[in-house]
Amino acid sequence: MSNHIDTSAYSAVTAAIRSEAARLLAGGEVSAVIGYLPARRKGSAQPAIITSADQAAELIFSPACVNNLAVYLTKAKKEVPKSGRIAITAKSCDMRALAGLIGESQLQRSDIHIIGLPCPGVLSSVADPSALLTTDTVASKCLECEFNLPQGADFTPVVNVTAPRGPSRYAAEIARLEAMTPAERWSFWKAQFSKCIRCYACRQVCPFCYCEQCMCDRNRPQMVETTPRPAGNLAWHIIRAIHLSGRCAGCAECERVCPMDIPLNLLNRKMARELKELYDYEAGFEPQEKGPLNSYLEKDDQSFIK
Amino acid sequence: MHPEKAKHDFEPKIIAFVCTWCTYAGADLAGTSRMQYPANVRVLKFPCTGRIDPAFILKAFQQGADGVLISGCHPGDCHYISGNFHARRRFAAFRKLLEFIGVDLSRIQFSWVSAAEGGKWVEVVTDLTERVRSLGPMQEFRELALEEQWSGAINTPELQEIYDQI
Repeated sequence: MSNHIDTSAYSAVTAAIRSEAARLLAGGEVSAVIGYLPARRKGSAQPAIITSADQAAELIFSPACVNNLAVYLTKAKKEVPKSGRIAITAKSCDMRALAGLIGESQLQRSDIHIIGLPCPGVLSSVADPSALLTTDTVASKCLECEFNLPQGADFTPVVNVTAPRGPSRYAAEIARLEAMTPAERWSFWKAQFSKCIRCYACRQVCPFCYCEQCMCDRNRPQMVETTPRPAGNLAWHIIRAIHLSGRCAGCAECERVCPMDIPLNLLNRKMARELKELYDYEAGFEPQEKGPLNSYLEKDDQSFIK
Repeated sequence: MHPEKAKHDFEPKIIAFVCTWCTYAGADLAGTSRMQYPANVRVLKFPCTGRIDPAFILKAFQQGADGVLISGCHPGDCHYISGNFHARRRFAAFRKLLEFIGVDLSRIQFSWVSAAEGGKWVEVVTDLTERVRSLGPMQEFRELALEEQWSGAINTPELQEIYDQI
C-alpha cells in the first residue's frame, strides 16, 4: 500500500533558496553556493557550485535532490574553491554529515553558511526522476527521518513539511538478517560482495572518506587485496564499515551510487544501532568533539572479554 | 613428568595479538614456569592492544588462521594509560560487525592477561585452542579466497535473459 507524499513544499523551498543564494552572492557574503541545478533527464537534479547571483535563479529543490552536498566541502575534493565563506544547501541528513565534519575539525562552522532545506523526502535511486513521490518510491533513508526541518542552519525557509510515514525498510532487513544463522548471513554477504567491482564510488561519495591515502590503496603493507575478487571485496567493505562506525551520518549515498546495488547502508545502520545501544551515541546536528570510538568510559562493557 | 600428548587429526592455527607489557610478559612467565599448553598459538607482539587494527583480525583469517586471540593489560593498567580502553570499545564494535557478516564469534577471543598471570594465559590459550579444534578448520575465508571473479561466461538464466535482450 503506497501513500502519497505531500510535495507542495518543494516550490516554496526552491523560491526561498533562490532569493537567499542571490542575496548572499550579490552581497559578497559568500564566494560560492553549493546547491542543486536541474539535470538533463526530466525531473532530475545535479549538484552544482554557483558563483554569481544570476545563476542563483536556476537553483532548485525537488524530490530528485537526493545527493549529499557535504561531500564537496571535504578535503578530499580539491576542485572546490576553498576561498571565502561558502554557502551550502542541506537537508537534515546532510546536516548530520556537516555536524560530523565540524566535530572532526574538517570544517569550521564560521566558514560555511548553511541553508537548511525542509524536506518531505527524496526519490529512491531506483525510481525514475520524474516519478511521483510516494512511500514506495521514496528513498529508504527518508523513512528513518525524524527531522524534516533541519536544525542549526543559518537560514531555513519557514515551510511546513510532513514526514513520509511508513515502516523502516532498513530495520526490517536488519531484523531479517539477524534472524538468520551465521552461515546464512555469511552466504548472503558473500553473494552481495561478489558483485562488487571495486569502483570505490561508495568511498568517493562519502563525506567521511577523506583520508589522503585510503587504507585499501596502500600496498606496503597490503591489508586489502585490490582485485575485485570476493575475498578482497569482503575485506574492503568490512574495513570501510568499521572506519565509518561512530561517524556515518546515514545519508545512504553509498548505497545510492553503488552500481551493483549492494545494500551498503545496511552495514552502516547496523553499526549505528549497535553504537547507540553500547555507548548511547547517535549522529546528530550538534558537532561532537569526540566520537564513540575516540573516547571511553572506565565502566564500558567488557562482558565479551575474559 | 610430561603427560602423553594426544594425537589429533586437526591442529588449529591460533594467532594471538598480544600487548608487550602485560600479556606477552604473562606468556613469557608461563614459559619460564614450564607450564604446558597447546603449541598451536602463534604470538604477535604489539606495544599495546590499542595498536591492534581490526583489519589485522581479518588478515589473520584470510591468511589461514582458524582462531584469533587478542589479549592485553587489565583496564587501568595499560602502559600507555588508555590504549586498552580504546581497544575495548573498538573491538566491542568490531565483534558486532563480524557477527552481522556471519563470522563465528566463538573463534575470536578477547582477554585481559597481566604480566603475573602466566596461569591465566595458559588457561585462555588452551580454552580457545580446544574450542576451535572442536569447531574445525575455518572454511569460510578459504572458500572466499578460492572463488574467482566473474569469468565472463554467461552461465546463469538471468545473464542469458539479459544477453538475449541486447
